Amino acid sequence: MSQKNRRKIMVDIDTLIEKSLQGEKLATARLISMVERGDQQTPYILEKMYPHSGNAYYIGMTGPPGAGKSTIVNKLVKLFCKSSYRVGVIAVDPSSPFSGGALLGDRIRMNAKSQTYDYFFRSMSAGRAMGGLSRTTKEASRILDASGRQIVIIETVGVGQSELDVAKATDTVLVILTPESGDHIQIMKAGLLEIADIFVVNKSDRPGAENIAHSVRGMLDRRHARLQWRPHVFMTSTLMNKGINELHEGIWTHHRYLQQNGNLEKRRKFQIKEELQQRIETELSDILWQHIIDDEKIEQLVAEVWLHKISPLNAARKIVAEWLGKGKIIQKTFSTK
Amino acid sequence: MSTAKKEGGCLFSEAQLQQIEKDFQDWFNNSLRDSDRQTEGAYFSHSGIPIKLIHTPADIKHLDYTRDIGLSGQPPFLRGVYPNMYRGRPFTVRQLAGLGAPEDCNLRIKYLLDHGATGVNILFDLPTIRGYDSTDPEAEGNVGACGAAVDSIWDMDAYFADIDLGTISTSIVTHLPSTSIVIPGMYFAVAEQRGIPWKNLAGTCQNDFIMETCVGSAPEMLWPRASFRLQCDVIEWICKNIPRWNPISFNGYNLREAGTDAVGEVAIAISNAIATADELIRRGMRIDDFAPRMSFFWDLHNDFFEEIAKCRASRKVWYKIISERYGAQNKKSLLMRFHVQTAGVTLPATEPLNNIARSAIQGLAAVLGGCQSLHIDSYDEAYSAPTEEAALISIRTQQIIQAETGVCNTVDPLAGSYYIEYLTDEMAERIAAYIKKIEEMGGLVEAVESGWLHREISNYNTAYQKKIESGEMPIAGVNFMRAEEDRTHDIEVFEYPETYTRQKAKMKRLKKERNQQKVKMHLKILREKCHSDENLYPYALEAVKNLCTLGEIEELFREEFGLWNFQLL
Amino acid sequence: MNRRIRVLMAKLGLDIHWRGVYLVSEFLKEAGMEVVYLGNSFPEQIVEAAIEEDADVVGLSTLSGNHMTLGPKVVKLLKEKGMGHVKVFMGGVMPPKDAVKLEAEHGIHKVYLPDTSMETIIEGIKSSMRDS
Repeated sequence: MSQKNRRKIMVDIDTLIEKSLQGEKLATARLISMVERGDQQTPYILEKMYPHSGNAYYIGMTGPPGAGKSTIVNKLVKLFCKSSYRVGVIAVDPSSPFSGGALLGDRIRMNAKSQTYDYFFRSMSAGRAMGGLSRTTKEASRILDASGRQIVIIETVGVGQSELDVAKATDTVLVILTPESGDHIQIMKAGLLEIADIFVVNKSDRPGAENIAHSVRGMLDRRHARLQWRPHVFMTSTLMNKGINELHEGIWTHHRYLQQNGNLEKRRKFQIKEELQQRIETELSDILWQHIIDDEKIEQLVAEVWLHKISPLNAARKIVAEWLGKGKIIQKTFSTK
Repeated sequence: MSTAKKEGGCLFSEAQLQQIEKDFQDWFNNSLRDSDRQTEGAYFSHSGIPIKLIHTPADIKHLDYTRDIGLSGQPPFLRGVYPNMYRGRPFTVRQLAGLGAPEDCNLRIKYLLDHGATGVNILFDLPTIRGYDSTDPEAEGNVGACGAAVDSIWDMDAYFADIDLGTISTSIVTHLPSTSIVIPGMYFAVAEQRGIPWKNLAGTCQNDFIMETCVGSAPEMLWPRASFRLQCDVIEWICKNIPRWNPISFNGYNLREAGTDAVGEVAIAISNAIATADELIRRGMRIDDFAPRMSFFWDLHNDFFEEIAKCRASRKVWYKIISERYGAQNKKSLLMRFHVQTAGVTLPATEPLNNIARSAIQGLAAVLGGCQSLHIDSYDEAYSAPTEEAALISIRTQQIIQAETGVCNTVDPLAGSYYIEYLTDEMAERIAAYIKKIEEMGGLVEAVESGWLHREISNYNTAYQKKIESGEMPIAGVNFMRAEEDRTHDIEVFEYPETYTRQKAKMKRLKKERNQQKVKMHLKILREKCHSDENLYPYALEAVKNLCTLGEIEELFREEFGLWNFQLL
Repeated sequence: MNRRIRVLMAKLGLDIHWRGVYLVSEFLKEAGMEVVYLGNSFPEQIVEAAIEEDADVVGLSTLSGNHMTLGPKVVKLLKEKGMGHVKVFMGGVMPPKDAVKLEAEHGIHKVYLPDTSMETIIEGIKSSMRDS
């Protein structure tokens, strides 16, 4: 489809990387597209870009649909830009389960009269990510980091586990709620409590805002008594522009906390470890599926399980056992990759 | 739907009804072919009301004439707001005027008045509508297009040069509350300067937060609540100061054009009226202080009978709400008066002359529905604001309906049609149910902020478009009997490229000549008052009189109230 | 691996009508494309967004008479910024002769006038991607 079109305009990959490292937006955008679609150059791109990343401050932002995340992102980006930071934003929206297409609307809020600010905004569709949303957003955000973005904000809709995982893998996590977000049981269930460094109760001018802030504080009292960082709760209202400056200051407070006692290092190392575990699993299963398990074998086992000759557990073990027996072949496959 | 209806039944006797129902069954079983019988259940009005092959008294047996239908000028006002209707006063022939610079519009207004228009609708270009000065970078490419540029009180003065403001009825099509607090103020201030007492001014302004937040999009828009507050400020102040002015036209029209069916159109507009009434009462006004000045604005779409039924039903629904819920005493409060415009959205650009026929039929429906004033779209609506020739055809169409067809000779001529009364009754019920649904969401302002209304509009449009694509919704010359696309024909479009230069020069002069101290002071006061509970109208009016520009005042609102954008999905 | 067509949809300038552009966006999504909805924007912002979003297609909607001023400007800016491969489509209300001019002289890939079916638009975008 558009491949041919792309090839024509594709300059050589090293030039793209070089330009992106110099902060050129066009090159950066194209590199993000490449890793996003799992281009075969991805490992090379990351090899070249990763050493230049690690300087940015990563902020994750999540919350239920309609909580006003995009509006808050918009306002924060402008505040960061005003303090002369170069900001990058990745906004993830769900995609249609039927067509795979998506309607990405977060950018609409960034729009007005924003020419004077230096930010890079990228919309991403959750369904599109090859090899998982968290892989794509991580890689895209590292490219933004390497290209000179000093603050990278990743915004997701906090409804699915993968979206929560994405937000979680940052330095500071903001969870946005509204008076309509429901009671504390719902918030706990959604897994939002565990990941938040900062809570924001948006639309605080509405009835019920105090209640929800109160119940969040209550939950935090019970939960975080032993922890070093007790998440702060901010009340904002984008109507009449209330509370945004305080929130902005609160983010920097958490940033200062991260700078102490190696907190940032601990946090990032923990995340890297998780990422490595995940990577190992995906790498292994990729190999398993691509090179080891052939369809015929599977079909044969399906038939046997169907006839109740063998249980699913034992069928799976049989495959793994065979695989382990072929150790040498696997090594060979792996090293050629 | 009809299960819960009260038994009334003074229209027909029990014995007659039994006979009618028996005859109908016989007819259905014996006179129809199988293929006819199979069509039963497959026909619906535009908004989904089931339509039978034939309607009989049995479909309206639950109606009580006195209670549910009545006479014109009497509750429930189903048949019309005035006893004598068009014999007493013909519907106002209202046409649009507004293109280029105010000076150009001034000529058009005079042309329309000379050709028999009795009121004018004045239109503005997009920068004015959205509250930007002609010189604002945001205004690029739109100055003077589709309406006139108005930046300051000077422009309003030019717009109405040599026209006696005391004798005409002017509809100021401002759309948004945030500009309705400024632009009509310019009109009032011009009148004051010319020595015309405010009590002589007649007209309407469109002043509707739904327009600001749901119907139109914009680079920047105010929060629904902020816009709603301004809407109420405008109504409160005008009711107290300009006695013959309708400070709001609850705009079903543009909502319908944006994408709702007839039920949604009326229900959402009435829900806005309910929210407004609640707020004004909270501010200490009495229902009869403002209800007589509330007017409505409907869109007359293609479904001929349903549209007539909509007009009739809306009067009844309003009467019930205003009398039962608010206990209004003043008879004028009970009357839903409305202006009608034919549906621009039904006018394709393909074979545009066909639109003369479409608009005439829609206009006829409006008159049969008992509208107070009418605007018939010009056939070239789909291309541009109307050319002079097209505008004249629209006026003539209205005159043909009014004078030649005889439909104005008697009140509500379709009353008593089993089909019309059935549709009217169904519409009234569905409108009331929809209003209830909005109330359950916490009222219209809440419903808008939650994004619900945008979803309703979007869902409607997708469904409607699918019907057009599939041919289920036939449009002659578009999805059936379509000719090859013709790009050779020329449509005359008014272009006023010089407007920008003229407005820019005028703005330069204004900024040089005005008293900067006063400008600063009045903007500062207005800014502070945004954060108070006070009505902003008098402060905006002072700013206008002291030559603050529209853009300066609007920018102030945008800064103080914060910006909003609806949630997609 | 195939990349989905990325379309940037914008309302040109101050134009207030969102019905059409949103409707087209919905249908493009249903057709499997990734649509970045920009709302109201000016040429500079549209081009900036097209770069960052790495769009294949830019769709501009206008019903307010700014098509001849702002439309060509988008094409020109895209070229200047190294995004000349992006196909620019326009839709909305304008005199037919302007549509012809925009396509012939101003580098607009295709102008869709009112009453165009969604199918035509979807197919038009898809085939523009195939041709290049």
